[in-house]
Amino acid sequence: MAKVKLRKWFKQRGWKPFPFQEETWQAFFEGKSGLLHAPTGVGKTWAAYLGPLMMTDPAASGLQILWITPLRALAADTLRTLREPLQDFFPKFQAEARTGDSSASLRARLRKNLPHTLVTTPESLSLMLTHADFREKIANLRGIIVDEWHELLGTKRGVQTELCLARLRTWQPNVRIWGLSATLGNLTEARRSLLGSAFSESVEISADLKRTISLETCIPKEMSRFPWAGHIGTQLASQVVTCIEKAQATLLFTNTRSQTEIWFQQILAIRPDWKSLIAMHHGSLDRADRELAEAGLRDGSLKCVVATSSLDLGVDFSPVDQVIQIGSPKGIARLMQRAGRSGHQPNRTSSILCVPTHALELIEFAAARDAMKSGEIESRRLIKCPLDVLVQHLVTCAIGEPFAPAEMRAEVQSAWAYENLSDADWAWAMGFITDGGHALKSYPKYRKVSEMNGRYGVEDKRLIAQHRMSIGTIVSEPSVSVQFASGRSLGTIEESFVAKLKPGSRFIFSGKALILVRLHQRKATVKVAPKTGTGAVAIWGGSRMPLSTELADAMARRLGGLEDQDGPEMSAVQPLLDVQRQWSQVPGTERLLIEFTRSREGEHWFIYPFAGRLVHEGLSALCAFRLAREIGESIQTTQNDYGFSLTARRGLSLSEEYVALALTAENFYEDLIECMNSAELARRQFREIARVSGLVLQPPPNQRDRGQRDLQVSSSLLFEVLNRYDPENLLLVQAQREILEKQLEMTRLSEIIKRCEAMPKALIETEHLTPFAFPLWAERLTALMPAGDAESRLEAMLRELTRAATNLA
Amino acid sequence: MIELTAHGVAFLTNTRTVVLADLHLGKSAAFRAHGMPVPEGDCARDLGRLSQILNELDARECVIAGDFFHAPAGMTEEIIEAVENFITEAAMPIHFVLGNHDGRIGRMPHGLKWIKAHDLTDGIRIVHDPADAAGAGFHIAGHLHPVVKIRDGKRTSIRMPCFYFRNEVLVLPSFGSFTGGAVVHPQAGDRVFVAMREQVVEVPSELWKSSLT
Repeated sequence: MAKVKLRKWFKQRGWKPFPFQEETWQAFFEGKSGLLHAPTGVGKTWAAYLGPLMMTDPAASGLQILWITPLRALAADTLRTLREPLQDFFPKFQAEARTGDSSASLRARLRKNLPHTLVTTPESLSLMLTHADFREKIANLRGIIVDEWHELLGTKRGVQTELCLARLRTWQPNVRIWGLSATLGNLTEARRSLLGSAFSESVEISADLKRTISLETCIPKEMSRFPWAGHIGTQLASQVVTCIEKAQATLLFTNTRSQTEIWFQQILAIRPDWKSLIAMHHGSLDRADRELAEAGLRDGSLKCVVATSSLDLGVDFSPVDQVIQIGSPKGIARLMQRAGRSGHQPNRTSSILCVPTHALELIEFAAARDAMKSGEIESRRLIKCPLDVLVQHLVTCAIGEPFAPAEMRAEVQSAWAYENLSDADWAWAMGFITDGGHALKSYPKYRKVSEMNGRYGVEDKRLIAQHRMSIGTIVSEPSVSVQFASGRSLGTIEESFVAKLKPGSRFIFSGKALILVRLHQRKATVKVAPKTGTGAVAIWGGSRMPLSTELADAMARRLGGLEDQDGPEMSAVQPLLDVQRQWSQVPGTERLLIEFTRSREGEHWFIYPFAGRLVHEGLSALCAFRLAREIGESIQTTQNDYGFSLTARRGLSLSEEYVALALTAENFYEDLIECMNSAELARRQFREIARVSGLVLQPPPNQRDRGQRDLQVSSSLLFEVLNRYDPENLLLVQAQREILEKQLEMTRLSEIIKRCEAMPKALIETEHLTPFAFPLWAERLTALMPAGDAESRLEAMLRELTRAATNLA
Repeated sequence: MIELTAHGVAFLTNTRTVVLADLHLGKSAAFRAHGMPVPEGDCARDLGRLSQILNELDARECVIAGDFFHAPAGMTEEIIEAVENFITEAAMPIHFVLGNHDGRIGRMPHGLKWIKAHDLTDGIRIVHDPADAAGAGFHIAGHLHPVVKIRDGKRTSIRMPCFYFRNEVLVLPSFGSFTGGAVVHPQAGDRVFVAMREQVVEVPSELWKSSLT
C-alpha cells in the first residue's frame, strides 16, 4: 500500500523508483535495520527517508525520524530535500536541522518541542542526550538514518555515534537504524559497527548501479622536462586552463589547502579575465566565502572552483560537468568519490581528469584505474574501545538520566566498539568519572558523577554546563582568525603557522597576497600586499596523507608488469622507466629492490616496499636504528609513499648481512618502541585524549570565559603529571596504543616487515640517483625524529657550536 | 653575587637569600574542584623540593616572587596545613611578594603576609610582574614563566624553561611542577640561561637568534 503511494509520488515527478529504493523501503516496512551502499547522487536519500516517512503515525507528537549527518554543511541541503516529501505526505508536520550552526532561537524552540524529522550531527545528538526530557520526546521515534557513515567509520566521532545509537536503542528497542555509505572494502564490518547488537537481523542493500567512472590523465606535453619529484606541480597549469575553458563548470580538487591557494593564483595569472568566474573552497576560509562558492557551483554562475576535500562530500552540484584532480589521488575510494561529483545523476558516466605533479604519479593514475576496474576499494580500519570517548559518554548519560551501572554497562557493550569491554576497563572508567581513578585516596576533593540510591548522576550545575560545552571528539589545532583592519574576516589559520611569520611577512591566503600587520590575541591583522615586490610566499602545511595500501599495491603490480602495460600514462612514463631499468631495476612485487649509491653526503640506501608513507616512516626509523647500532654512525632517513632512504656519512655498505639485519621481524616491536621515542609521540597524541576525556577544557572560540582562566593547562604537562602520580591511568596506555596505530600503522607495519623479510632481494649499486631514488633524496630536509631529551639535544648543539668556533679560530 | 641554580632559583650569596617564583600551589586541586580528575602530588613535592634547596644552600632567607598559590578553589585544608608546616620548619624569614594569582585567595595560612615588593640590603628589588620593575637598579621578577625555544636546524626545536635577563631585570623560571611556560622572544643584548645536567649554562645568542626568523 505504502509502496503504491510512493510509486505514485515518483510518477508525479516523472521518475520511477530504482529497485534498490524499493528494496530498502520493503526492508524497513518489515522492521529491519541495515546498511545501504550506493555512490553519491543516485537517490540514497529517498531510499532511506521514504520508508520511515510512510510509517509516520499521524496522531503522534514529537520526533519520529532522526537523520544524523557528519557534516554541518550538509544539514541545510538535506533538510531541503527531506521537506519536499514530508510536505506532500504530511503537511502538518515539520522538519528542522539542529547543528552547532543553528541559531539560539531555533535551538530554544527545539528544546521545547521536537519536530517530526530532525537533521543533526553526532555532537548535537550527544548534547541532546544530556536533556532530562529527551527520552520522553522521542517516544515515537521510528527510524534513525546515519548519512555518510563511511565518513564516521573508524573515527572517534563514529564511536561516539555508536554509543548514542546504543542509548536510543535502549530507550526504543524497536527503532530501525539505517546507515548510508559510499563504497568501502569492508561493508559488513561497517554495518556491524553501526548496528552493534542489532546486527544479526539486519540487511545490506547495494544500489549496484552501473555507474562507470572514466579516468583521463593530463599527459605533459614535454615529458622530458617534467620533474621527477615535487608536489606543487603547476607546470601543467596552461593545459589545465584549456580544459577548464572547454567545460561548463569545473571542480578542481587539490590535496592541501596551500596547493589550493597556489593553483587558484596560477589559473588567475593565466586568465585574469576569470576573476569573477573562479572561486576557492577550503576548510580555513570564512564560512561566507565558502557558501558563496557553493552557491556559485549550484546555480552555475562559476566556471571553476578550486577545492580541497572540504567539497568531497554531499551537496549536489548538478552543473558541474568536469572534475579535475591535481596530484596523487592517495586512495581509490577518494578518487571515486571525487569523480562522483560530476554528472550528479543516476546512470550517467562520471569522469575525472587527473593532473600529475611529478612523473611517477602517472603510474599512480594508471594503477588507480586498474583498481577501480577490479573493484579493490580501501577498507576502513575501525577503532576498538577508546576509553576517552567512553568516559565522555558516561558523563553525558549521567547528566541526562542517572543510570544504574550494570544496565549501562550492558548498553555500552551493545555498541560494537565496546563489545569486549573488560571488567578492568569498565571499573577504571567508572572510577575516572566518580572518584578519579583506581585509588580513592589519590584524587582528593574530586567529584563529578555521584551515586544516589544505586544510580549515577551529576548534580553540580556548573559541571553540567562545562560538560555540555566540551562534548565532541573533534580536536582542532589552535587557530587564529585572519582579518583586515576594517574587521572583514578572511577565515582562520593554524596558530603554529602564523606564529612563524614576522610582521611584514608576505603570505597567500584566501586567494590574496597579504602582509601580516600584527598578531594579537588570536587575531592576525593583515593588509593586501602591494603588487610590486615579491618575497617568499609562506606555505602552510596540511597533513600529508599517505597513499592507501590498496593503491600502493596496485602501483607495485603495474610496475611489476602484472597488469598490462598499455595506456597513455605508461607510454608517457616509459622513457623514465627505461632509465630506471638501465641504471638499476624497476621496483615491483617480485623482488624487494634495494639500491646503493654514494654521493658527497655519504652513502645511501634506497628501499622500495610500496607500503605508504606512514609505514615507511616506522620502517625507516627501525632500519636506521638497527644499522646505526651496528656501524656506529648516525643514519638519516627520508620516506615517501613508494619507499625510504637511509643515509650515513660512512660505513653503510651494501651487503646481504646488513639487509637481513635491518629487515628482520625478530625483536621488531621492542626495537621500534626504543627507536621511535614513543614516549614523546604519546605525549603529542595525549592532546586529543585529554580533551575528549574532559581533562582539559576547550572553550569554543571567542568564548574564553574568564572564570576558566585558572583551568588552563597544556596536555603535555598533564601527561607528565599523570605519569608521575598516576602511571596506571589507562588514558596513558591508550595514548601509547593510539600513537602506534595511528602514527605507525603498527598492524600493517608488522605485516610489511614480515613480507620484506621473506621477499627475495635485489641489491644493486648504482652510479647515479635513479628516477625512483631522486624524490627520496630530494626529501632529505624533512624533519627528523629528535633523539633524546631536551638537555642532551642542547648539549649536542653546544658541542657542535664550540667545534665550529674552534675550526674558525 | 647572584648565583642561578639548576633548581630554577636565584641565590644571593652575600645575604644567603633564595629567590624563586610561581609555585602555583593548589593548581591541581583547583582542577579537581572543577570536575577534572588530575592527581594530587605536586604541592607536597614542590614544598619538599624547596625545603631541600634551602637546606642544601644553607639559606638564611627566602623570597617568593609571587604566585605562591594558584586559585581560591585550590585552597584545600591539606594545602593550608602543608604551607603552615613548611613555614614553621623552614625556620627563617620567608617573604611573600603578592602575585596576580595570590590576590584572590580567601583563607590564608597562619604566618603568611603579603608584601608588594621586597628590597634586599644590597639594592636588589624583588617584584612579581617584570612590568612593575620601575626605576633604576637590579630587579628580580617572575610572572612570565619564561621558556626559550631553540631551533636545532633540523626543523624541530627544543623548549626549555629559562632564566631570562633583560634591561637589568632577571625573570625567574616558574618553580611549580604543574605550571606551563610561555616562549620568550629575546632581543639583542638579552641573556638566556637554562639548566643542563645539574648546571646552569648560558644559551649562546646564536641558538636563540635563529628562533626569530
